Amino acid sequence: MNHPTCLRYVHVQMSACIVFSRQNILGLLVAWATLLFLGTPNLATAQTNRDQLSGKLVITGASTLAPLISEIGKRFERLQANVRVDVQTGGSSRGVADVRQGLADIGMVSRAMKDDEKDLPAFPVARDGVGIILHKENPVQALSDEQVIAIYTGKTTNWKVVGGKDATITVVNKAEGRSTLEVFLHYFKLMSMDVKAQVVIGDNEQGVKTVAGNRNAIGYVSIGTAEYDESQGVPIRLLPTGGVAASTETVRNGTFPISRPLHLITRTPPVGLTKAFIDYAQSKAVHDIITQQYFVPLAD
Amino acid sequence: MAESMKKRLNMCEGLAFVLVWGTAALVTATFCWLLGDLVWHGLSHVSWTFLTAPPENAGRRGGIGPILVSTALILGVCLAVALPIGIGTAVLLAEFTSDHSLFGRVTRRSLDVLAGVPSIVFGLFGNAFFCKTLGLGFSILSGGLTLACMVLPILIRSTEEGFRAVPTSYRLSAAALGLSRTTTLIHLVLPAAVPGLLVGLVLGVGRAIAETAALIFTSGYVDRMPESLLDSGRALSIHIFDLSMNVSGGDANAYASALVLVVLLLVINSTVSRLTAYGLQRKIMTV
Repeated sequence: MNHPTCLRYVHVQMSACIVFSRQNILGLLVAWATLLFLGTPNLATAQTNRDQLSGKLVITGASTLAPLISEIGKRFERLQANVRVDVQTGGSSRGVADVRQGLADIGMVSRAMKDDEKDLPAFPVARDGVGIILHKENPVQALSDEQVIAIYTGKTTNWKVVGGKDATITVVNKAEGRSTLEVFLHYFKLMSMDVKAQVVIGDNEQGVKTVAGNRNAIGYVSIGTAEYDESQGVPIRLLPTGGVAASTETVRNGTFPISRPLHLITRTPPVGLTKAFIDYAQSKAVHDIITQQYFVPLAD
Repeated sequence: MAESMKKRLNMCEGLAFVLVWGTAALVTATFCWLLGDLVWHGLSHVSWTFLTAPPENAGRRGGIGPILVSTALILGVCLAVALPIGIGTAVLLAEFTSDHSLFGRVTRRSLDVLAGVPSIVFGLFGNAFFCKTLGLGFSILSGGLTLACMVLPILIRSTEEGFRAVPTSYRLSAAALGLSRTTTLIHLVLPAAVPGLLVGLVLGVGRAIAETAALIFTSGYVDRMPESLLDSGRALSIHIFDLSMNVSGGDANAYASALVLVVLLLVINSTVSRLTAYGLQRKIMTV
């Protein structure tokens, strides 16, 4: 075989192979389409089942609420063998949008409903409150909002200025991404970068331990955690905010200012399985789960 | 004169020595620090029960059994889809398309752009296309297909480089011996291109198994043991993210899960490279 013939031979083989590989791709597409086709009927059954008291509930929305609702969902599944509760996250606004579009049966919203969302039926399941804590032996009894802002922005650095001992203030802040940080910043109208902190902590327990171990520290944690630890003899004290004592009681009745309601929402007034789940999430049977997730149950 | 030049040369060499070794030490130290931190905080929580039990109390207690299963299934779907399409496209690009053809240039440019697209964009695409348009919902299938889309550009490009690294003389010799193009491809070029494929595979698996943003809106958040590919299943990376950022008191289990993830990645990487090195030797010998 001389050289040009060899090239021509290669060329012929090449075009044959292109056809061959096209068939391959076609085959793959067919296989894929079959896969999708097989997949769809299963979903359809799940949707028709939803009207009966068995089936699948899809819940999307606030990541703050997701662990709580997941746990409630697991307990609900144990009670109702034919029910599946799938919880997805993505934020409160996503919960609202998914419910409006019918992509989710129930939405999770970790704030008060906005004016343009008032048409959606909303069901509060719990409240989340954030309280400022000091060491038990710190003589300061109360701080105004302005004083708290001055301390957290580094303008006030000594307890003497706000009526305490002559000692440097240790500011304890929450790590980025914690919902308590957001609630705290939102109430005091601060930006995350304005805060000048000496200690950055992760969870509530860590915040309590840091303040309990430092007489000059100031921190803020979920009120449920703080109240529980205070009752267990941990040397911390919750400060009132805006003249309202920080307690699960004032969080529950909505008078405590640094708090927010945690809602479940639906597009239309709930019926069937959706209603059963929302009723269950609002019932006393889940109060232990709500407390376990450091939230405040609504009523005893 | 010569003396001072020699001195300067020595100094240059010394500087280069310090720079090269310093950089290498820095990279290694960073990895060791990271791994050490994970082992220090996480090792005491890792046990057989942790690896098999379902999570409890939002993941603070219990284990990661269902999450490991979901992760494996998502990765399986991803590879089952990405490998055939990836190798096929790479063969087409490297063997059957000329470097300067419009088709080749457009495809390569698109792949390079896709490889640089942030994973959250793939996540939103997957959510819109697989979950909503195709009606797969939040499912392991949606997650795996989204990951396949994300991994494909890397896989195709590095496999293509693997094919290009095979000397043309192989193909010409095979043609001179009267072997068909397909035989040449399957028995000669493909085995020889395996190292490139391997690099793509390791990079792709690494990107896929550590993915969070692309999965949170596709395979979802449900930490129940999956019963089918149409169930939503939480991937390990999402579990770690949730425990460390969303669940107070979840740090200990987050460390343990992260340790499992890193060890898993190391095991997969070393197994793949060892297997392929073995297979490569055998394959080329028998031809």
